Amino acid sequence: MGIWGDLLLTSVFIAAVSLALFWMAAFTLWWQMHAWRTPEVLASTRFGSPDGGEHLSFSLLLPARHEQAVLDHTIQRLLESTHADYEIIVIVGHDDPETAEVARKAAARDGRVRVVVDHHERKNKPKAMNTALPHCRGDVVGVFDAEDQVHPELLAHVDHAFRTTGADVVQGGVQLINFHSSWYSLRNCLEYFFWFRSRLHLHAQKGFIPLGGNTVFVRTDVLRDADGWDPDCLAEDCDLGVRLSSVGKKVVVAYDSDMVTREETPGSLMSLLKQRTRWNQGFLQVYRKKDWKQLSGFGQRLLARYTLMTPFLQAFSGVVIPLNAAIALFLDVPVGIAFLTFLPLVTAAVTFVFEVVGLHDFGKQYRLRVRFIHYVKLIVGGPFYQVLLAGAAVRAVWREQRGRNDWELTSHVGAHLTAADVIRPSREDVAA
Amino acid sequence: MTSTLPAATGTEVAAQDTRVPVTVPAPRPAFRFRSSRPDLIVCGLLLAAILAVQGWNITAYPTLSDDEGTYLAQAWAVQNGHGLAHYTYWYDHPPFGWVQIALLTWIPARIAPELMTVGSMRFVMLLVSAVSAVLVHVLARRLLLPVWAAGLAMVLFGLSPLSVVLQREIFLDNIAVMWTLLAFTLAASPSRHLWHHFGAGLAAAAGVLTKETMLVVLPAVFLTMWRHSHRDTRKFALTGAVTACALIGLSYPLFALLKGELLPGAGHVSLWDGIIYQMSRAGSGFILDPHSGSYGVLHSWLYYDRVLPLGGLAGALLVLLTWRWSVTARALAGPALAVAILTLVAMRPSGYLPAMYVIQALPFLALVLAGSAASVVHLVLNRWRGGAGRRSVTWLRYTLVALLVAAAGVYVVPRWYDGDRTAVTADANAPYRGASHWLTHKVQDPEHTRVLVDDALWLDLVHAGYRPGLGVIWFYKADLDPAVTRTMPGGWRALDYVVASPTVRRDAVDLPNVKAAIEHSTPVATFGTGDDRIEIRRIDQATGGNR
Repeated sequence: MGIWGDLLLTSVFIAAVSLALFWMAAFTLWWQMHAWRTPEVLASTRFGSPDGGEHLSFSLLLPARHEQAVLDHTIQRLLESTHADYEIIVIVGHDDPETAEVARKAAARDGRVRVVVDHHERKNKPKAMNTALPHCRGDVVGVFDAEDQVHPELLAHVDHAFRTTGADVVQGGVQLINFHSSWYSLRNCLEYFFWFRSRLHLHAQKGFIPLGGNTVFVRTDVLRDADGWDPDCLAEDCDLGVRLSSVGKKVVVAYDSDMVTREETPGSLMSLLKQRTRWNQGFLQVYRKKDWKQLSGFGQRLLARYTLMTPFLQAFSGVVIPLNAAIALFLDVPVGIAFLTFLPLVTAAVTFVFEVVGLHDFGKQYRLRVRFIHYVKLIVGGPFYQVLLAGAAVRAVWREQRGRNDWELTSHVGAHLTAADVIRPSREDVAA
Repeated sequence: MTSTLPAATGTEVAAQDTRVPVTVPAPRPAFRFRSSRPDLIVCGLLLAAILAVQGWNITAYPTLSDDEGTYLAQAWAVQNGHGLAHYTYWYDHPPFGWVQIALLTWIPARIAPELMTVGSMRFVMLLVSAVSAVLVHVLARRLLLPVWAAGLAMVLFGLSPLSVVLQREIFLDNIAVMWTLLAFTLAASPSRHLWHHFGAGLAAAAGVLTKETMLVVLPAVFLTMWRHSHRDTRKFALTGAVTACALIGLSYPLFALLKGELLPGAGHVSLWDGIIYQMSRAGSGFILDPHSGSYGVLHSWLYYDRVLPLGGLAGALLVLLTWRWSVTARALAGPALAVAILTLVAMRPSGYLPAMYVIQALPFLALVLAGSAASVVHLVLNRWRGGAGRRSVTWLRYTLVALLVAAAGVYVVPRWYDGDRTAVTADANAPYRGASHWLTHKVQDPEHTRVLVDDALWLDLVHAGYRPGLGVIWFYKADLDPAVTRTMPGGWRALDYVVASPTVRRDAVDLPNVKAAIEHSTPVATFGTGDDRIEIRRIDQATGGNR
């Protein structure tokens, strides 16, 4: 072997890693930009205008746990909906009298609000929703979170989408809005933007879709046939989508900047890390449940495999890309090989540029003022966000290995609401 | 609850069309080249004609040029693992151009290495011409020209005697034109697909890396993209394309950086020095000053054809003037801008104007001229048509068009016929073939013989057994490349022959070693007559002393 053998081995290794990273990043980029491929695709991602006819009834699930500060506001806003036929089912825990009190007051005020109490000893969101499922009277079950701001015309649009497309599931857009709160909330907002604005539509089109946690609507019979949500899965939303799409249920995604459900980013870096860890661990669980193997197309299964493993590939690439480039610069490898190591950087650069343009578009769509400093934060924060994602991925694997699959909830401080809307104390994470 | 849903047996879970039906912006009337029979027929027939005219007699006309030989020799060096050039690569041009030539000639050169000479390898340029000609047609159609005008653009681009002469030669510009046309065609993609626009950026970068002067045409590519993209997706399309172009373009300085040759330093060439050299090349004067070199270059173009360069310029002017009223003029904004930029660059009084400069402008001149013709015909046939036009007026309109066509035909056809007949019959390369034959057969010991030649002959002599680089020496290197002069301690005395071709005689003025070699030598064989003659001159060893 000697020095030549070592050099050859290094070269082959670097080339292989570089090409793998390049293709990974290229595919992710390709999918991320799905909605903007052509003007026609972009137009087709929006809700159709409602025709005025409303024939479906809705049961809106609103699981609330220690959410007494925001719950009433959310219920009030849901009651402003223009749709004629819906009920709101607030699900509270038996050990959470404050939230239950707010819910009961709301129910006393308006007949459309009902309260279901969840008596599970160990509580989580899927268990709460499964508890409420038998009580649903509507044709369609919708899920919202206690801190969501829902547009009054959303239900009319969803009704229209169900009727015109024959869908079993309609996923509406969810958007984090408080991009100005911190450097990571900026990136977090943009992640949601690319995911709900663009990538989910590709998944719907390909017939494999991990659903979002709220603003998701499922025909009640379909949901009951599927036995509701998986109470042991940390990403029950993703799991439901995977199970339904794997057996050929039709999922429709629609995104309108006017119609999205507005949310807030986690209030601290630590809670973002916990939230991401939970999702990653959930993705890992969904992957291991193997429901996606029922997908009939090879391409669909590949997309499923790749999508569910994305957090881990992301973690891997975030570490390896800089390392790879450093090796190319400082180690004496042939120029051709050194060239290859820059390929992943090229895709990373293209991704960065599209993120900048995406931030501009985000500002336009939501009529928010994006300043120069935000673009700077976006770019400079990029590598650090990668580190965060990598940390969450590693943490998820570690927790899954140790068999720890309890919920680490995310706290909400109401940053997406204007100060006049609500003033609430911030709350510690709920350890289950 | 972890139960899974029963698999839906028998039902295929195919990819679904799950889009919510909404009012989709009406797509522009889409032109699909592949499924349009008239286009395929017109394009196919014209392509055959272009290939026949350009291919027939391609080895014998025009005269082999030193530049062609250089690019091919560099491609030969790439193929044979000698690096990026047959001498030290010094960043004179980005190497992508002759890397492509190396790829194109790879298979024939594997089969028969002696085919790797300028004359025979000109055939690969037919492939480049063919692709470019088809792209001109597709682009014309994407710019909303009618089929006949797209055909006309193709004819102008491929059959003008000026095009025939220049597109036959192994010039980087021809390959760069192909890439740039691809960039334009993708920029004007009727589906307005993000990745088509991204591809346009990649193709534009490939064009620039093939011949760096294509840089000036980039604004025209992006203008075309701006006009053909949709308001809702434009910012992604354009930034994507610019990013793609910039990133690929940056690979050239990155390459230099990785080789440690980005900035000047002792003992190595550098990209910086290469750029400085190109930017500081002695100007050839103002193009309209009859005493300038540029004026001579302009007239060498007009000698072959006046219709395409002058007609195209007039067409570009017409497009710019009628911008506000004419749909065709607005559709042709990109090509017209390309012509305008290239014209302005050529007008720089201090600039250097190479003979192949016009190659970059040929497709745009052709498109703009064909588009102007389409505008004029449309004007004559349809303007001031009030309701149901009277039959006699319609008849008059058609007569006028017929007269215009006839007049254009009477002017153009005889001139092009003469020019193209020369191209398919004349033999301009007999002297080169004679010199090559003499040096191959009359020199006893080629392996130990040192000859100064221009690059048009360099590969011939390599195949004849001369040592590449130091045995057969590209004449410039005898004065300019330290790696060569080091082996010539006695200057001209170290040589055996100098092949004085017109290029060598012209440039010997500024090259002391070459000049001395010519002065201290006597012709032993002469091929051709007058200024075009090629002399093989043996160095006078009697006056030179020992080598």
